[in-house]
Amino acid sequence: MKKNPYKVLGIKEGASYDEIKRAYRELVKKYHPDKYRNNPLADLAEEKLREINEAYESLMKNAGSYQYQESYSQSYENSNAYGDTGQSQYQYQYQQQYDNDLELEQRIRNYINMGNLNEAQRLLDRMTNRGASWYYLQGLIFLRRGWYDRGYSNIQRAVQMDPSNFEYRNALNNLERQTAGFRQNYYYRNTYRQDPDMCNICMHLWCADTCCECMGGDLISCC
Amino acid sequence: MFGYVEPDKPELKIREYEVFRGYYCRLCKTIGKKYGQIPRLTLNYDLTFLYVLLDSLDIRLIEGKRERCLAHPLKKRFVVNPGPNAEYAAAMNILLTYYNLRDKWTDDRNAVSGAASRVLKGSYNKVRREYPEKCEVIEKHLEKLGELEKKGCDVIDEVAELFALIMKELFQGGHVCDGTANKALGWMGYNLGRWIYILDAYDDIEEDIRNNNYNPIVRQYKYNGENIPEFRRRIVEPVNFSLTYSLSEVEKAYSLLNIEKNKGILDNIIYSGLIVKTDKVIQGRGKENEEKSV
Repeated sequence: MKKNPYKVLGIKEGASYDEIKRAYRELVKKYHPDKYRNNPLADLAEEKLREINEAYESLMKNAGSYQYQESYSQSYENSNAYGDTGQSQYQYQYQQQYDNDLELEQRIRNYINMGNLNEAQRLLDRMTNRGASWYYLQGLIFLRRGWYDRGYSNIQRAVQMDPSNFEYRNALNNLERQTAGFRQNYYYRNTYRQDPDMCNICMHLWCADTCCECMGGDLISCC
Repeated sequence: MFGYVEPDKPELKIREYEVFRGYYCRLCKTIGKKYGQIPRLTLNYDLTFLYVLLDSLDIRLIEGKRERCLAHPLKKRFVVNPGPNAEYAAAMNILLTYYNLRDKWTDDRNAVSGAASRVLKGSYNKVRREYPEKCEVIEKHLEKLGELEKKGCDVIDEVAELFALIMKELFQGGHVCDGTANKALGWMGYNLGRWIYILDAYDDIEEDIRNNNYNPIVRQYKYNGENIPEFRRRIVEPVNFSLTYSLSEVEKAYSLLNIEKNKGILDNIIYSGLIVKTDKVIQGRGKENEEKSV
């Protein structure tokens, strides 16, 4: 069953290009795979995103205008490619190390990606070399399990041990961005806390009065 | 331990507030009808939230009527009609309160809790008969939680996980058939439970240090007799991260549920209410205006 694309994007039927585009951008931001990385619900988010892309594309096709078709898939591929380079760079760095550990690491990563955390943890415990990558992987496992406190401190540790590694730093930034983003959402939604209070109003009145007096007039005659 | 999940009232529309109160009243009345008048006093916001959430996954429109009740005999109030999840939420409310009281009784021999848990015992048995598997799973987690607390576990994540699993169990138990929704609900419950547990622990730091009770935060960060504001300053940053991150995960799960019904109320709780509550507790104002009903 195909869903109504307008409904998927959460807009009224007959919305303008700009509205469609804005809604689309918002939604892509909301369900972006970067946000759901290391999350058991990643597959659901992906599904949702596919729906959104389909809806967007069908709306844009109907509109018959190509100039608006900057599809999300492009940026998605980019981010994928970017993940790949991170990986190969990372592999290169560790080439000198024991093949054994390297292979183990790859297997741990696979298990983490598949969501088999117990197996990943078991292999991780077997790793002899507890360098930055060990802490990083341990951090990933913890995050995925919902142990954010431990996950955060492990990834912090990995970054401290190997500050030049792009992947670790990226993961740490991602964590911080997410908490900040959640808070920002709240400040963005709730405007009443930014409304002027009495003090502000008096201040503005006083300013206006002073300005008027400069120009030779008067706003508040008593001062 | 309960009542942290609240709407951010100043941001609610009057209509949304009325509907939320309608759910609250329905839950209260359902408890009254099934378990008698006294258990009605145990109703808390967390379960009201669960009720609203589960009911919002049901596409039927909200219907209700104006009724009187024992607590407000003079004025008729809007009460939603009971959906399939009202009884479930009512039962879980009894269950959680009973466990909580029993816990307090065995831990600190709090006489009030002891008496209250005895009063609730009958209702609890009734719930147990109705949801035997649910009770079994929850009790297993609780038992483990008790063990960890007794052992003095010093890993916040580990202790919080058990309460998180209990909440996960509750969130997945309603009349929701959609597998995808159930998965998202489970993750939401897990993270919300984690948030509640850690927030409660932070809220109780002072009291627990004074009474020498177990508190995972005090344990993990090795309180060494410094004064309490100083201790709080030392730990506030990682705890805040842990709390906010859990909430961001709640939000992620929530946005995958695609809820249209009661969107205003739920958005308000998820995007404002929870963070407002976090900030209140972090700033040490958590005990303010607690336990006030709508």
